[in-house]
Parts: sequence; C-alpha cells; structure tokens
Amino acid sequence: MTTLLKYNQLEFVLHYSGAAFWKNGNCLLIADVHLGKVAHFRKNGLAVPAAVGLVNFELLEEVLSFFNPKSVIYLGDLFHSKTNNDWRAFSAFIERNAEQKHVLVAGNHDIISESHYKKLGIEVVSEIETHELLLTHHPTETDSKLNICGHIHPGVLLRGAGRQSLRLPCFFQSQNQLILPAFGVFTGKYILEPTATDRVFAIAQREVLDVSAYFQNQV
Amino acid sequence: MTNVELFARADSWFQSQQWQVFPFQKETWEHYLAGKNGLLNAPTGSGKTYALWIPIVLEQIRARSRSAKAKTGIKAIWITPLRALSVEIKQAAERVIEGFQLDLTVGIRTGDTAEAERRKQQKQLPDLLITTPESLQLMLASKDYAQRLAHCQAVVIDEWHELLGTKRGVQMELALSRMKTIAPNLRIWGISATIGNLEQAREVLLGLDSKTNEKAVLVQANIQKQIEVYAILPETMDAYPWRGHMGLHLLDEVAAIVKRSKTTLIFTNVRSACEIWFQQLLDRYPEFAGEIAMHHGSIAKETRLWVEQAIRDEQLKVVVCTSSLDLGVDFAPVETIIQIGGPKGVARFMQRAGRSGHQPGKKSVIYFLATHAMELIEASALQKAVKHTLVEDRIPYLNSFDVLVQYLTTLAVSDGFYPNEIRQEVQNTFCFQAMTDEEWRWILNFISKGGQSLQAYDEFKKVEIEADGKFKVNSRKIAMHHRMQIGTIVGDVSLQVKFLGGGYIGSIEEYFISRLKPGDIFQFGGRRLELYQIKNMQVLVRNATGSGKAKLASWLGGRLSFSAQMSQLLREELYRANTSDLSVELAAMEPVFTRQRRESIVPSSNEFLIETFKTREGYHSLFYPFEGRFVHEALASLLAYRISLLTPISFSLAYNDYGFELLSDQPIDLESVIDNNLFSASYVHQDLQSSLNATEMAKRKFRDIAVISGLVFTGYPGKLIKTKHLQGSSQLFFEVFRDYEPDNLLLQQAIRETFEHQLEEGRVILALERINQQNIVVKECSKPTPFSFPIITDRLREKLSSETLADRIAKMTASFMK
Repeated sequence: MTTLLKYNQLEFVLHYSGAAFWKNGNCLLIADVHLGKVAHFRKNGLAVPAAVGLVNFELLEEVLSFFNPKSVIYLGDLFHSKTNNDWRAFSAFIERNAEQKHVLVAGNHDIISESHYKKLGIEVVSEIETHELLLTHHPTETDSKLNICGHIHPGVLLRGAGRQSLRLPCFFQSQNQLILPAFGVFTGKYILEPTATDRVFAIAQREVLDVSAYFQNQV
Repeated sequence: MTNVELFARADSWFQSQQWQVFPFQKETWEHYLAGKNGLLNAPTGSGKTYALWIPIVLEQIRARSRSAKAKTGIKAIWITPLRALSVEIKQAAERVIEGFQLDLTVGIRTGDTAEAERRKQQKQLPDLLITTPESLQLMLASKDYAQRLAHCQAVVIDEWHELLGTKRGVQMELALSRMKTIAPNLRIWGISATIGNLEQAREVLLGLDSKTNEKAVLVQANIQKQIEVYAILPETMDAYPWRGHMGLHLLDEVAAIVKRSKTTLIFTNVRSACEIWFQQLLDRYPEFAGEIAMHHGSIAKETRLWVEQAIRDEQLKVVVCTSSLDLGVDFAPVETIIQIGGPKGVARFMQRAGRSGHQPGKKSVIYFLATHAMELIEASALQKAVKHTLVEDRIPYLNSFDVLVQYLTTLAVSDGFYPNEIRQEVQNTFCFQAMTDEEWRWILNFISKGGQSLQAYDEFKKVEIEADGKFKVNSRKIAMHHRMQIGTIVGDVSLQVKFLGGGYIGSIEEYFISRLKPGDIFQFGGRRLELYQIKNMQVLVRNATGSGKAKLASWLGGRLSFSAQMSQLLREELYRANTSDLSVELAAMEPVFTRQRRESIVPSSNEFLIETFKTREGYHSLFYPFEGRFVHEALASLLAYRISLLTPISFSLAYNDYGFELLSDQPIDLESVIDNNLFSASYVHQDLQSSLNATEMAKRKFRDIAVISGLVFTGYPGKLIKTKHLQGSSQLFFEVFRDYEPDNLLLQQAIRETFEHQLEEGRVILALERINQQNIVVKECSKPTPFSFPIITDRLREKLSSETLADRIAKMTASFMK
C-alpha cells in the first residue's frame, strides 16, 4: 500500500492514492485533486457520473485516517474551477478534519478567492519554504533544497518482452525535485521519459512500486 | 398537365441534349410522379442524377399548371455524403431548370457555404437545396425549422450505400423520421450503388411506418459493366517483399501502365500511402511533373476541386488518390485504374474499376497491385468475385444511442420537443425499432439529469424540462457548443495545417501531429514542411529547408475486413496452391510457397495450420483461419482469454485477413491447451464478453461514441472557444463509466458495437465449427515463415493479461537487470 522514499535525512511514505507523507514534518502532501471537476463538467452538460465526484472525498478521508498527520498541504489545483456544489462537500470534509492544519499552495486552476478558504480556516500561500524543502505547485528549480511539486500529473510507460507495455501514474524524483502524481480521479496523466538517474515509483492499483531499475538499465 | 405531357417535355429536352432516356430513368420518373417513395439502384455516372432531378422539376411544372401563383419556400432537398459533389449536383439541377425555362432557385448549404449565403438562406431557403447529412441536422437545430421545411416535397439521399452502416446513416434515419411529420407531402428517395442487401437498404431508408412503405419501390438500373482485372506482377518474384504495405517495388511497372494510358487513377487505401506514391513517382519520373496530382480528403478544398477539373479537362496523366475519388460524377478521360493493396471489399473494388472506361460500350480496366506476396492470393480471389458480382452487405447500426442523444439535444436546441411525440417517430426508424421503454427513459434522463443524480443539489444542466413537459435547451452556451459538435460525427479531432504567413494546406489528425515536436519535418500534401507550432487547433508550418528525414503524415483511418463470401473465395484460392490448377497469380507465388513449405506447410482444405517459433520479441503462435480481419480479432482475443484462464500469462495480439498471432514472453503448451477445448464452439458469447473486458477493444469503440454523444468537446477547427476547464478525454469517460456507472447505455453500446460490427459473433462460431472438423497441424518452426511475416510485423495490437499488475511490472523491471 505504501513505499518509503529516502532523500538525504528526509523520509517520505508514498501512498497508492498519490499522497506523500513527510515523516519528519508529520505532514501530508497532496497534489492536483481537482475537486469540483466532475460538478463543473456536469454544470456544463457533460454527464460524468455524479458518483465520481464523491470518490475524491472518500480517498481524502482514507489517506487522512491512515497517516493522521498534523498538517495537510495541498500542492495546487485543489479545485478545478469556480466554486460549485463540491465546495459544500469540501467544507464538510474540512469541518470533519478540523484537528489538522490545512494549507493550500495555490496552483493555476485555483481561481477561487482566498477569502473562501480563509472562512474554512485554510491558509493560502504561493509557496512554502523550510530549510530543507521548497513546496510549490509548478516544478521550480532550487539550489540545495528538495522541491516537491505537482502540476505535471506524471506517468511512465514500461515495456516488456512479448510487446507488453503499461502506462502508470507515478511519483517522479529527479535530482532535488519530487513531482507527485495527481491525487484526483478523472484527471489523466502525462507520460514522462525518465533517465538513469531518476527515481520512479509507479502506482499499480493499491501498491506503490519502485521501478527506477527499469530506467537505469535502458540504453 | 398530364404525366404523358410532362414526359413528352422531358423526352424532348433529353433529345435537345442529344441524350437517350434510359428505362430506369423513365421508371423512376413515373414512380416519383405517382407519389411513391423508393430506392434507385444505379452506379455512378449512369445518369442517376437526372433520374430524380427531372421528376422533381416536372412536379413543379404540374403544380404551376394547376395554380398560377407559385408558392415560395423549399421544394426539395438533395443530400450528398460528400461536400465535394455538391457543385456537380447543383449544375445538373440548373441545367434542367434552364432547359424547362423555370425560375426555380438552387442553393448549396454545407460546411463550406459562405456566411453571406447562409444569412440569405436563413431569410429564404432556395427552392432546391443541396446539402450534407450534418448540415441537415444543423437545420433541425435552428428555430422554426418545422415551418420552414413544411412544404418540402422530396428528400433525395444520394450515395445511400455510403451512409448505410455508418452513424451518419443513423443521423439521416432520424432526420427523415422528423421530416415525415413536419412535411406531410414528403417523398423519400435514395440512390445506391450495388450492395448485397439492397432490400434492407430501402427498409432502413424509409423506416418502418406503414404509410411510407405502402408506396415503396425499388428501381434497378441493371447496367452491367464489363470489368477486366489484371494483377501487376514483377519479372521475378525474388524481390517480392514478405510484408510492407506500399508496393513501391512495382513502381516501374506502374509507371509503364501510366504511360500507356490516357489518364490513370491510382487508388491507395490510406492517405500516407497516397503521399508516398505521389512523391516517389515524381522523384523517379520527373517527366510526370505538371501532369501528376494527388487527391485525398485532408487536402484543401480548392486544390481538390482544381484536380477534379483538371482530370475532366485532360490536363493530367495520373492522379494518386484515396477513397476521396470513389464517388462523384464522370471523369470521362480516365482509362485505367490501379488499386494499390487489397481493397477489402468487392463493392469498393468494382466501384473503383467503374471510374474508368465511362463511355457506353467501353470496358473498365483495373490493375491490382499486391503490396506483399500473400496479397496475390487476394488478387486471384478478387477476379472471381468481380466475375460473379459477389458484393458484400452494408450492415446497418441498431440502437446507436450516441446518435440519439445528439439528435434529441438538437431538437431541444431549436424548438424543443415533447417526448411522446418524438418517441413514436424514433421507434419507427430501423435503427431504434427495438428500443425499450426503459432505454428511452434512460436517454431522456441522461440528457436532462446527466444520468443518475445522487445529490439533491446536483447542478447538471443541459436539456431542461419545462412546466408543460417540453424538453428544451435554454442556455445559449450549451446550444452553441452543441451546434459546433454536430459536424464532428465523423470522429477524429483534426487540426488545420497552415503556413506561418497564412495559406491553408489541409487538415491532419491530432493523433499524428501530437507525436511531432517543433522543428520536426513531415511530408504532407506533397510538400516537405517544418512544424513551427500548434496553436488554437492550428498547425503552423513553413517549407522545410534542411535535408533531415521527413516523417510521413499518417491517418488512423478505418481498417476494413473481408466479408464472409470473400473470405471463402480466398480460402478456395489458397487451397488450390497444393494442386496443379494455378491461376497466374498463384503460379507467380510459387517461390513464396516453396519458402513456406521449407519450414511449414501450405494448408489444404482439411488442414488448420498453427505455427510456433521464438524470436527476440518472445514466443509467437500463429493461427491461420483465413476468415478476414474482424473474425480474427475476435478469435485471437477468445483464444488468448481461454489460454489465460489456464495459467497467468500476458499476450500481445496481432491480426490480418489471413490469420492472427498470440505473442507472449513465455511459451504456450499448445498440445495441452488444444486438449482443453481451445477451439470449442460452446460458451463463445460468454468467453468473448469476458475477453472484451480484458482488452481495450471497447475502449477504442467508445472514442466515437463519446464525441457523438457530446461527452468530449472537440471544439471546432479554426475557432477558439474557451473550453480549457472542460477538456476530458474519451478514455477518462470510459474508465469512470466502467468503474462507477457500468449500466450506462453509451458504455454498453461500445461493448455491443464491438460485438456486432467487429467481432461478428456468428461468423466466429462458424469458423470454430469449421476448425473443429479440420486436422490441426502444429508446426514448430525455427524462424518466421512467409505466411507469418505480415502479421508479426504489424504494430497495431491488442493486449490481454491474466497476470497481476505487480507481477508484470516486476518482470518488466527484472528483464532489464542483467
């Protein structure tokens, strides 16, 4: 269900949902939930099954109770578009999980006004910097710190003998950057081409598997 | 004025044109003036256009003789599946009108019609309108359509065989069901080339209501054209490739035929082959410059029109083309046709042959160029099929709910509709005759409530139900999106290709262009172009300067398959290979058969051949039922599924018209799987259903369904609409339906269509029964055989696995750790 990722002294537990738990900081990192995407589609006449909109909340509850972190940091694109009825469900979710501190690092989709978040006690920032980490939505270059970000919706393509191939969402770490997969359902993925020095953790149903070796041995 | 007098006028006009009236034309005039509906079976270039324009115009003369005051408004609509044909049809109508000295107006309304002309038509429709199925739908999506079309007396659907068996055909069935109600004096006429199921074609066209059918006729022109088929054979077979799909090794032979003949049309099956042949001919024979042209559906309209005119004016020696030149009026100077690669249909092959030798008494000449050695069997079989006119059926769609969703939204966009009234009309179409109450309610629910609504405060908004029960779209934005979507029933998202400095070159599928990076060079429309950028659904390019290798523009296109009859002919030809009764083509294949026999056998009628061998790619098992591609798709996934039940295994599947391959990273114990009822004809339905869930076949079918039903908004070429937050892919929709709404009718439709239109369950069972009566011959080969080569090198594949995801990943990762 989870896999451990170590980076210098830092330890992260990677969860099959796409969330990463930063052990040392007792903090859960989640990118690209795209809440309200289903409702936004439906509002515009595109009939995504309404049930899909609820799955994100079920997954959020699951991962929060699994790690029981002190704080939850959303690395952007928490909401897909303007507020709609999913905002109510989100408010209820925040109320149920009020013992955690919730912070949003705003992404390009986050166009809902900060004041709405403030009312729910959620802080909205453009980035978060500790002395080891730089948390952003867009991948950002830094000199020494580890940049953890989202935005890309990373995925990888694996090929095997007998013309087999698989496309899977993944956690993608290259040098001092860790890109999280999109947490939200109904979001899609973008296939990256890792090099031998990258570390790749693919999500295979309810497991997270280190597949870096695949790319290390390719020419 | 009596019919006799009317016909006398028509006869004398024909004489003034120095034309002769054909019996089928006169027969059609009589039926039409007697108020009948029907289907006219006549080939292209036979005078079919005048078989119907004449009586439509005569009817106007008769009306005027009865009342002095001519009514304004539309009198007749002529539907053509190809925009490119509309100009010719208009010219024919104008010629008739002029001949009878009437003041009727003729107009065209297609996607190409200029804005000013559209506005004029909005005020006042012409008396005779030529349009496409999509543009007719758009008319139904505009306000007050019912009043505007109320006095229409005739709808003619030209080239009906091209629409039958497609979703555009379903679109047409629905539009006609509405027209019958709003225009009570309507006559419906279709024109079709010869297909196997003409009676059914008429039934689909006219629908099931008794009123339309009691006056229905089928008129057949019975024009038998003599067709001569030749295979193009090389001097020696040594150089004949075992695979490949271009046939360029016979370029010199093709050039020689071109030089001998007045004008030659070279038909290729796909546009990329068209591009290559054009370029190669020009490179090797520079003397063709100025006399060679290319014609395919993605080339700018102006260029295509120019090419068509140049053929008529005898300015061109050779035109390389695709199905884009299958239809349309005469190209008198064309003497010779060359077909590159298997045409996959006898009807299509004959239609193409008929593009040559148009003058009465002349015969049509068609050369068949097999692109790989195995295709020569096809050449041999085709000659027989043509001789006996063994043309295939066009199978009409049933319960195409995606088209129904689109149609109902169309009606809701214009004037709104009352379900009870429309239900009756829809139920009377061929496509929806078996629709249940439950399905109808589901569709209404889908467009008005977005399927099952779980929350009380769900915001789904598309079609609203007004107080009196009328279904209506009130949002202007949704109405606008929908109108744009109507034209995209044909499927793929295409982008316009333009020069940086302006100048439209053509359109290209997103599928191809998405694999290119700026700076990449590709070949398109006979030019070498460099990709500059993709912006707002436009591909901006400039002429390539460097000498880098150009990629060839490719189009997914439909892969076609042999009919049951053609497959049988093919098998019969193949079985002759072991006898001394060889056709020219089979005799030419002798070196191939020799090679085949070295490792394996050429099967006889009582043998079913399976070959196995190992290559770097893995363990190959090849099966040769010779049943046509679609049946092989089904058989391959059926067998792969049955084997995967016995042991955890992953397969990659490939197929062609001769056989199919199961490729795996582990060997299969064939003896033991065959003993485990591998070829059993029992439980075929259940096993196919399960295998379908294990492969992506239905997902691919769902692509079109998602676009047609308006789930995936494709935008409109050239027009930028703010839809950034509404972009979803059909794949995402497929996955959420599968996981969260498995009873969704559109999802179910994708599965059903895979069965009916692709898997052909009935033929699969017959094939299995046949195999069970044959001796199964398993040949362990040391390397690939000539039979296997075209299959194992095909890259369009399906996958099926019974291993866990984690195991598969572990294997993939491990195989690289040496």
